[in-house]
Amino acid sequence: MADDTETVDRDTEATANALEPGRTSVDHGFTARVKRSETWRSMFRHPQLDTPRGRALQSFSNFFLHLYPVRIPKRVLRMRYSLRLGFIAAVLFGILLVTGVYLMFVYTPSVNSAYGDMQNLKTGVGFGQLIRNVHRWSAHLMVLVVALHLVRVFYAGAYKKPREFNWAIGVMLLLLTLGFSFTGYLLPWDQLSYWAVTVGTSLVHYVPLFGGTLEKLLIGGPQVGQSTLLRFYALHVAVLPASLVLLLSVHIWRVRKDGFAVQRSEPGAFSEEATERAAPAPAAAAMAKAAPELYGGRVRLLGVVDRESVTEADRPVDDTVYTWPHLIVRHVVVALGTAATVLALGVAFSAPLHEIANPNQTPISEKAPWYFAGLQELLSHFDPLVAGILVPAGAVITLVLLPYIDRNPDTRARYRKVAIATFSLLLAIIVVLTVIGVFFRGPEWKWVPFWQHSYVEL
Amino acid sequence: MDQPSRRDVLRTGWKIGGALLIGTAVYTGYEALRPLTTGATAGPVEVGPISSFAVGTPTYVPAGRLYMVNTGKKLLALSQKCPHLGCRVDFCDSSGWFQCPCHGSKYDIGGEWIEGPAPRGLDEYPDVSLAKDNKTVIVDTSKVDPGPPHGAHVYYAPRKGPNC
Repeated sequence: MADDTETVDRDTEATANALEPGRTSVDHGFTARVKRSETWRSMFRHPQLDTPRGRALQSFSNFFLHLYPVRIPKRVLRMRYSLRLGFIAAVLFGILLVTGVYLMFVYTPSVNSAYGDMQNLKTGVGFGQLIRNVHRWSAHLMVLVVALHLVRVFYAGAYKKPREFNWAIGVMLLLLTLGFSFTGYLLPWDQLSYWAVTVGTSLVHYVPLFGGTLEKLLIGGPQVGQSTLLRFYALHVAVLPASLVLLLSVHIWRVRKDGFAVQRSEPGAFSEEATERAAPAPAAAAMAKAAPELYGGRVRLLGVVDRESVTEADRPVDDTVYTWPHLIVRHVVVALGTAATVLALGVAFSAPLHEIANPNQTPISEKAPWYFAGLQELLSHFDPLVAGILVPAGAVITLVLLPYIDRNPDTRARYRKVAIATFSLLLAIIVVLTVIGVFFRGPEWKWVPFWQHSYVEL
Repeated sequence: MDQPSRRDVLRTGWKIGGALLIGTAVYTGYEALRPLTTGATAGPVEVGPISSFAVGTPTYVPAGRLYMVNTGKKLLALSQKCPHLGCRVDFCDSSGWFQCPCHGSKYDIGGEWIEGPAPRGLDEYPDVSLAKDNKTVIVDTSKVDPGPPHGAHVYYAPRKGPNC
C-alpha cells in the first residue's frame, strides 16, 4: 500500500515537474495527498498548475471551464466592454432555478390551494417569503437584464456576421424570458395575478382567424381558471425551463465558437472559428483568383485567422490573456454581486400578495406586468389588432431578421448612423410608453402621475 | 423509371416517419390543451325569479358572471367580460352606463358600446328561458353572441348623469 502511494507520488511529481519546470518538491499535507489519490484524479484529471500549460489543461479538462475559450481578448476583461449583461442574465436564471425548486416543494397548482400555499410560505415556512421575494426580484431583473443585453449587443454591432443566427436565438431567449415571467405571474392566484393574466391572454383573441381558438388553448376554458393555472404551471416549471436551457446552451456555445468578442475591424482581431465563414483575405483572395479550382469559394489557409487577414507574424502584440483565472475571477465577483443584489431586494421589498383571485371583481386599477405596460399603453390608443398583435409580432420578426436586413459589415458607430438612429428611436418609444404605462396611469387608464397617487405594482 | 436505391428508400422513409412523428406530437399537444368538453364552467345557470329584474337596473349574477338587464322591451343576459381585454365591467348608478375599470370603455345599459377602446358592445347570452315553474329565469352560458358593433343603436340609452 505504501509502495503504491509512493509510486503515485513519484508519478505525480514527475508530471508536475514536467509541466512546471523548476518545481522539485511534492507537498505531503493531507489535502495534497487527497488530491493525489486515484479517486480525486478520476474526477479532476489535471492538477491545478499555475503555469500556462497547466491553465490550458485546466480549461480543457473541466466541463464548466470548457464553456470558455482557453484564451480571450484582453478587452473582454473590461467591465464596460459587455457590462457582463449576458452573464448576469445566466446567473439570474440559475438563482431562479434554485429558488423555483424550493417553491415547488410548497406549491400546489390548484385554485383551491394555490393562494393558501402563498400565505403558508409567509407564515409557516422558514425563509419561505424570502425565497419567494428573491424569485420574484430575480425574474423582474432577468427580463430587464436580457433586454439590456439585447440593446448592448445591438449598439456593439455584435449581431453581425458570423453571429446572425445567435442573435436570432437571443431574441428567442428574450421571448422565453417574457413567457417565464408571464406564466409565473398567475401562480400566486391573487387579484393582481388573475386580472393581469386575464388582460394579457385576452390579447391573443385579436390574432386574425385563429384568435379565439388560440385563446381557448392558452387558458383552457371560457375564462382564466383551474385549467389555466395548471397549464401555466406546466409551462413554467417544465416546458419553458427545458426550452431555455437548450437554447441557452446553443447561445453560449456559439458565443464561444465565434471568438467570445465582437470582431474588431483592424488586423489582430481575435476569432476562433470565424475563419470558416469569413470573406477571403487579400492573400487568400489572390490565391483563389490564381487557382479558382483549388481555392475558389471558401478559402482557409494557415495563418488566415480573420476576415481582415492576419497571420501570427502580422499580429503586432498578443492581445489575449488566459480565461482562467482572469475572466473567471471577474465572473465569480459579478455572480456574487448579482446574488447579493437580489437578496438585498428580497429582504427590502416583499413580493405582493393581494386578495385571493375573484373572477367577479376587477380591481380598481388593473395593469399588466411592467414589461407589458408599454403594450397596454399602446392598446389604449390603437385598435387591439394593431397594438396587441401586429406591432409586437412585427417588432419580433424585425428583430430576428435584423442581421439579415442590416448587411453593413462595419461595427463602428460612425458608419452605422441610420441603423443606430432607427433603433434608438424605437427604443425611446418603448421606454416612454412603458414609463407612462407604469408610472402615469390609474383607474380606467386615466392620466394619474405617480407623485399624485402611485399605482405601480411589481 | 429507375429502381430506387436502398439509400433513397431510407431517406424518404426518415422524412415520412419524422413528419408522422411531428404530426402526432402536435395533435397530441392540441388534444391535451384544448378545453375539456366535460367539466367546463359554461352551461345553464339559474339567475333568479323574473319578477326580480326591475326595468333600468342591472342585476349582477355572480354564478353566471353576467348581468341581467330588463330594458323594458327585452330581458338581456350580458356577459360581465369587457370585449376589449376581458376585465369585468361595473355598472355606474350615476351615469346609468357600464364602465370598464381597466381601460375605461363605456357601454349603455343595453350593452352597446359608447366610448373607449373596446371593439364592440358587451357579449350577450341569447338563450334566456323560463324554468318549468314559469318564474325562474335560466340563462345558457354555453352559447354567446358577440356584442353589437360600434354605432348599432339598438337599445341606446343616453347618460343619466356624471360618470363614476
